[in-house]
Parts: sequence; structure tokens; C-alpha cells
Amino acid sequence: MSQAPSQAATQDPTTIPIPERPTPRAVLTEAQWQARLDKLAAHPAMRHDNVHLPEGATNKLSGLLLIIGAAALVVTILGAFTFNARHALAAFEVGLFTCIAMSVGAQFLVMIFHSLNAGWTTTSRRQFENVASLLPVCWVMALGVVLIEILGGGVLLTWLDKGLTGDHLLELKSPYLNAGFFVVRFLIYGLVWLGLSQLMFRLSRKQDETGQRGLTRVMRFNSGWGLLVMTLTTAFFAFDFLMALDFRFFSTMWGVYFFASSTLASVSVVVLILAVLRGTGRLTGAVTEEHFHDLGKLILTFTVFWSYIAFSQYFLIWYANIPEETAWYVYRTGEGGYKALFIILAFGHFVAPFCILLFRKVKRTTGLLAFMAAYMIAITVADMIWIVRPMVYAGAHAAENPGLDATWWLDAAGIIGALSIWGFFLVRAVGASPLVPLKDPTLHEALAHKNYV
Amino acid sequence: MPELPKIFGKIPSVSELLASASDYMPFIPKPAPKYVSESGKPVHGITAEFSKTPVVVRAAEKVRDAGYTRWDVMTPFPIHGMETSMGIKRTILPALAAGAALTGVAGALAMQLYMNNDFEMVVQGKPFLSWEPLTPITFEIGILLTAFTCVFGMMALNGLPRFHHPLFNSERFLSVSDNRFFVCIEASDPKFDPVRTRELLESAGADRIELVEDEN
Repeated sequence: MSQAPSQAATQDPTTIPIPERPTPRAVLTEAQWQARLDKLAAHPAMRHDNVHLPEGATNKLSGLLLIIGAAALVVTILGAFTFNARHALAAFEVGLFTCIAMSVGAQFLVMIFHSLNAGWTTTSRRQFENVASLLPVCWVMALGVVLIEILGGGVLLTWLDKGLTGDHLLELKSPYLNAGFFVVRFLIYGLVWLGLSQLMFRLSRKQDETGQRGLTRVMRFNSGWGLLVMTLTTAFFAFDFLMALDFRFFSTMWGVYFFASSTLASVSVVVLILAVLRGTGRLTGAVTEEHFHDLGKLILTFTVFWSYIAFSQYFLIWYANIPEETAWYVYRTGEGGYKALFIILAFGHFVAPFCILLFRKVKRTTGLLAFMAAYMIAITVADMIWIVRPMVYAGAHAAENPGLDATWWLDAAGIIGALSIWGFFLVRAVGASPLVPLKDPTLHEALAHKNYV
Repeated sequence: MPELPKIFGKIPSVSELLASASDYMPFIPKPAPKYVSESGKPVHGITAEFSKTPVVVRAAEKVRDAGYTRWDVMTPFPIHGMETSMGIKRTILPALAAGAALTGVAGALAMQLYMNNDFEMVVQGKPFLSWEPLTPITFEIGILLTAFTCVFGMMALNGLPRFHHPLFNSERFLSVSDNRFFVCIEASDPKFDPVRTRELLESAGADRIELVEDEN
């Protein structure tokens, strides 16, 4: 390199024009920042009644959900005492894990949006934050499940049963699968979920009021480590509560499987919330068909992702044919209509939504996309039923099975109970804060968002 | 009846296809040029040079509204919303990709079912013709055909690859990669007229108008 004669060196230095470099753009002064905030506040989409729900507008719906939820839970508890406690708990868990999936997924997406500085999501981010802020509610409901499991000596989590001895696999797994460590892990999940969701939610709300732009950087910093600990706690939560329903079974893909369901369900529930808000005349110009288009793309993406994970997991276990793994699928493709549910999931969770959501028109039409979002939540519930429900009458309990005709009311009550109580808190949360982050530095990007394809 | 999306543009005629093929294959005769410059070379088109983004966007809208079809805007960086200003229709490529995907899936399934039909082999005690092993191969061949169609279809629809473009004959045009915006209306456009096209571009606020010649 040193031998090559530099052309510039041979020329007369005075003849080389030196281009004037623009001075690097300075950080906005406080006055300039305030001027930008004022400009944003004057944006037609940011009218007060467009980004706020009127006081008490959500009372009717939340009250209705509370009544339905309470009634359904009473039916579930009655069913537990009069009919079958295992069955009632499983029904409640199906609903509860769907709620947890939605809240966990929303927390993931909030942090992903922050760490990627995703400008287009800003107007819809508050609804993700609302869904994520229900993680404490989810944890308290899960605490009920943990108490029942521990005090009942292993209701569905049969490995908690002290009388269960002589199983070689359980003895090998006992350093992990024991009541003490289980409670410790559950407390860690609670600490991480409550801390992170409240931290991100309060920072965002604080920015609404004070307009401190530095808070965006604080949120981005917390998203970095937050994503890591959320990933670990979510995966281990899925191991403890879903995979350990059958303590012989193990799949290293299980955490990802639950993550795929959770992101899918959380985008779906946010699309539903936004569609309802648009239906009541809010968010005009703030969340447009462009935002719905991109949220629809996310639903399509996670539909494919779930299918890929679900099939890969099934395929490897099918080929390897190791008894303790295969048994899990034998329960879920065998007696009691689970074979039909398996086929329904293959077509209803992948083929149909994939083919429908491919169309641009569906993603850009709010009503159609909202319908697909509601459908995706329903099919996620079906997925949870397929995971949890077969364990109720598995193995030694097979003789107790009275059949679906006699028990469908208990399943419905448990699922509706958990979802409605969660929905009650969600509707209250939506009504409690502004519908968009009012003073976010990236708000102008979301307001001008367009799909240029 | 809702209006169907217009993803299919005008189907090119045989002479148009031959004209584009003659760029690549010397044995295909080039069509006789519609216009010839003073030096006797065929005219590629008229370029207009702009130095400001809003002006070139307005100019594009003007050319679009005048009804030209064979023209293009060249800019140093992507301009958001240019496709609406130019009136570009959505590409047919998604439909082609869907066709390729269905062909791949159907072909892969047919191949595997045919091959396994008369040649049943017990592998690991798995049932004959179970759907699980068919899935990865079906998936992969579907993906392969779709990806190829997307990449090569995109290139074909863009007229790529090509060795040369007549616009590079213009010395001024090279600044398109620096700080200038160009609108070029080609002489092969049915609405092209040496005088009126130039007037249109002038009225759109072009800094400079230039005639670009083609090779022989």
C-alpha cells in the first residue's frame, strides 16, 4: 500500500477543493424539543378526545366481564368440589395459560419494539403495554394454581405427590422437580415479571406526563437485559407448568413453542383492542390501515413460526420414538377426540390462517383482521386445551373419564372464568391511560407510517 | 361486485418481446428506430434533470397524468411515495410466487407418493406413506421454487441482468448517483413526440433537457 503513489500527493494541494462538511447536527436543545412536542400536540390525530377514552367509558364492559368471570369461576369451584377437582383445575389452567401467554408476549414485543427503535409501533405500543401490565394479575392467578398444587400434594403436577416413589426418571429429575425449588422458581418469575412489566409501563406513563425524552433511552436500556431474563423465565415457566404436567416428557423446544403461542396471541389481542377503539371513533389517523397491515404481518409471521416449531418438535419425537417422549403425543393423538383436535390444530392453526392472512386485503381491512385476531386467540385456547386437558384422564385416571358430553360445562366455565377476569383488568387498564404514548420522541414516525409496497 | 386488484399489467405484444430480446441476442434484428438523431443514431429518449426532490415528484405526477407509459425516474436515493406519483401498478410477482409455491408443493407430494407407491420399505418400523416424512421435502421444494421464482421473476420483470443501458451514453446522467434526479421518457412510448414531450418536461421545471442516443 505504501508503494502505490498517491494521486493526491502529486497534485498541488491548493487545487483540490475541500468540500465543506456540514456541522454535525447537535442534540436538540430543550426549547427545540418543546417546540417539537407542541407541534406533535397540534397534530390532528392527537386531539384530546381522539387519544383518550371518556371517563368511565369502560365501566359497562369491565363490569360485564367481571360478572361473567365471577359466575364462571363459581361454577368452576362448584365443579371442583362436586365433580372432579383435577378437571376443574385443568379447565382453569387452559384459560390462565392463554392469558399468561398474551401478557408475556406483549411484554416481549414492547421490549423488542424499544430495542429495535421501531418507530411505526409507537401509536399501538400503549395497548401492548396495557396487555403486558396485567402480568401481576396473571401471576396472582398462577399463585392460586401453585397453592392448590402444593397443598393438594400434586393435583395435575403429579410429581409433587410425595407418595410417588420408585420412578427412576423422577428420581433423576428430582433435583429440579421438587416442591421447594418449584416455589423458589415461581417467586423468581413473579419478581421478574412484576418488576419488568411495571417498570416499562410506569416509565412510559411518566413520559406521557413529563415529556422527558431521555426516558426512551432508559426504556431501551432496560429492554436489553429485560429480553434476556424474560426469555429465561418464560421458557422455565413453560417447562414447570406445561411440560411438567407429564414429568417423564421433555422437549428442549418447549420454551420456544410457548413463546410462539404467546407472541401470536398478544399481537392478536392488541389488534382486537385497536379495532374496537377504532370502532368507537378513537385513534383516527393514529392507528390506520397501514398499522393494521403491519400487525397483520406479525400475526402471519407468528402463525408460520408456531407451525414450524410445533411440527419440528413433533417430527423429531416421532422419528426418534423414545418411549417417554412419544407417550406425550400418544395421549394427544389418541382416545377422547384428541386426534381430531390434533388435525384441527394442524389445519386451523396453520393452513387456514396462513392462506387467509397471505392476502393484503385481509390485513388492510380492520374488520377482517379483527375477526382473524379473535380466531387466532380462540385457536390458541384450543392449543392449550390440547396440551393440558389430556393429562386429566391420563394413565391411572383413565377410568374416571365421564366423556366430553358430561363435562363440557366445566371446561367452558374454567376457560371463560380465567379469560373474563383477565379481560376485566385489561378493559380497565385500557380506560385508565391515554391510548397512545403522548410525548414519545418517535411518535411522528408512527403518525406518518406507510407501507411503500 | 368489488373491483379486483389490478395486479396484471398490460400483456406485452410479440414485437415488444422481440425488441427486448434483441438487447441480449444479436441474431434477433432490432426494430427500426422511430426517431433518429442528427448524427443518425436511434433516439433512446429525452431526459430532464432536476436538483430538488419535491420538483421531481411533481414532474413525475405531471408525466403520469399526461399518459406516458414507457418512462422512468432515476434518483440517488429512494423517494417514498414515488410509486404513487409515477402511477406504478402493483407487481404481478406475488401471484407468480403463489403459483410457484403451489406447483412446488403439488410436485413434491406427487413425486414422493409415486416413488413410495410401488416400493414399500420398512424404515424404523414406521407406517408406509405416513405424512410426517413427506412434510419437510414438500416444504423445502415449495420454498425452493418460490424463492427462485421471486428472485429470477423479479430480475426478469425488471429486465435484468443487462450489459449496458443507453442512458449511460449521457455524461450528465452519471451524476444520478450523486445529487441529481432524472426523468427519462423513452422514444418507444406511443405518446412520445419530440416537441411536445420536451415542452412537458420544461414546464415541469427541469433544470436541463437532453436527448439521449442509443447505440446502433
